Amino acid sequence: MASFLQYLVYGLQLGSVYALLALGYTMVYGIVGMINTAHGDFLMIGALGTYFIAKLFDSVSIDGTYPMLAVGCIILIAMVMTGGIAVGVEAIAYRPLRNKPRMIALITAVGVSMFLTNFPRALPFIGPNPRPFPTLFTPKTFTVLGASITSTQIIMIILAAVTMLALDRLVAKTKMGAQMRAVSMDKDAASLMGINIDKVISITFFIGGALAAVSGICYASVYPQVEVYMGSWLGNMSFVSAVLGGIGDIRGAMLGGFILGIAQIFATAINSTFGYAVGFIILIVILLVKPAGIMGKVTIEKV
Amino acid sequence: MSMLEVKDLHVSYGAINAVKGISFEVQQGETVALIGSNGAGKSTTLRTISGLEKAKSGSIIFQGQELTKLKPYQIVELGIAHVPEGRRVFSRMSVKENLLMGANIIKDRSKIKRDIERVYEIFPRLHERMNQQAGTLSGGEQQMLSLGRALMTSGSLLMLDEPSMGLAPILVEEIFNIIRRISEDGTSILLIEQNAFLALNTSSRAYVLETGNIIMQGKSSDLLADERIKEAYLGA
Ligand SMILES: Nc1ncnc2c1ncn2[C@@H]1O[C@H](COP(=O)(O)OP(=O)(O)O)[C@@H](O)[C@H]1O
Ligand SMILES: [Mg+2]
Repeated sequence: MASFLQYLVYGLQLGSVYALLALGYTMVYGIVGMINTAHGDFLMIGALGTYFIAKLFDSVSIDGTYPMLAVGCIILIAMVMTGGIAVGVEAIAYRPLRNKPRMIALITAVGVSMFLTNFPRALPFIGPNPRPFPTLFTPKTFTVLGASITSTQIIMIILAAVTMLALDRLVAKTKMGAQMRAVSMDKDAASLMGINIDKVISITFFIGGALAAVSGICYASVYPQVEVYMGSWLGNMSFVSAVLGGIGDIRGAMLGGFILGIAQIFATAINSTFGYAVGFIILIVILLVKPAGIMGKVTIEKV
Repeated sequence: MSMLEVKDLHVSYGAINAVKGISFEVQQGETVALIGSNGAGKSTTLRTISGLEKAKSGSIIFQGQELTKLKPYQIVELGIAHVPEGRRVFSRMSVKENLLMGANIIKDRSKIKRDIERVYEIFPRLHERMNQQAGTLSGGEQQMLSLGRALMTSGSLLMLDEPSMGLAPILVEEIFNIIRRISEDGTSILLIEQNAFLALNTSSRAYVLETGNIIMQGKSSDLLADERIKEAYLGA
């Protein structure tokens, strides 16, 4: 029982990383109608960026830990920077192709992903080597029914759930959300309502990028190593999460993230190879059994 | 003074020249029809006025402003409302939400309330169905919603792209009565139709478009009586 609970904690921890990343993935798909395969690289940029931003705050750190205010600043700067890069990627690489066939945008996204991985790798001050991630949170450990859970894990899980709820409300209840839904259903009609669709899409990418940074910071806080390749696997897993939950659906992204995280941890406990494969097995099964995902509805005009 | 003046407009899709140098105008308060058979370039003309397509050359001047370099949302803000071909309602939004999307650029909440009441008064059927998903409405109801949504933008020029398409005759009549009423309320209208008879009966002036060129123009009543028009478009 204790080890079952312990695995569940690890599953939720990993799931919250996937969920935060999948939220942006699914929003970009839902609103813009493209699979941004470079989304995982935004996570890497956020995590690696945090490493460098934290260096700028070195003078205020005491024994390798930072005061709360500095941690807040570091995270905020990383979010804004990653969100900004996501907006730039959309404006430069994706916007000119918006009215072209889907496949062209998909191929471009693969190219963008390669660029985002390999450009920093080629920069002398970044390079390919893994770096230790700074300690932003000093975890306190609690024991519940024999399983241990840290304050960092609790924060991550709550953060993923709260972010999901906030995004869900944003899209369902605010004027910006209504504009996003209009753009997702019909871009021309949305334009004819006086909606600046470039702006709506930029905001969507900004949110996706900023959340990817948070996801990267969470991931690196529990697996404290960052390098330019870290986005690829996590990006793939968040894609699986989004498809599992029903791509385009915000609640589905979080659900898919947690399910995949938990499944992976339990599968790894059985056999580590199985742990790596389980994500793809889930993807294949969901595509065969319920292609629209758990929360997805099959709609005729689905983008 | 013309409200809308299109001068020597060319539009192409890659190698296909859809609009080949047309000029026309709409005066304040007028209803002008643009008629022509399928593929003549009518929708392309409206889409270019709204900024959804780029003009290759020529100019579009609305109330003294050049539109060809503007984005669609800026053109809506200047006061052009466009009911697109095929209705294009937001299918997974309710009727009411669709109407509120139409009021996207309106800041004054009390105006939005008044306008929505006016739309419900013009289209009682939309009022009955205000919480229904737009995608589940009938074709006629969707056309009403698309029209109501465009009215919510409070434009001074209303452009309609084939409002009769795919509708039963009784509904067509209902929609056209409403269009006449909107015109009487002072809105200028640019009406596109394949149904030339209907369009000429609703408008004061008209232009005939054929494969991207305007081949005839004049008072609608004169065109209705014209032998060539009768033969080509009125099925006489
Ligand atoms: N998106 C498009 N891509 C390529 N050609 C198009 C496109 N839209 C319209 N056309 C072509 O442009 C011409 C004019 O079309 P359109 O303006 O839709 O005519 P109408 O509305 O009068 O029926 C047609 O030959 C049509 O095939
Ligand atoms: Mg047409």
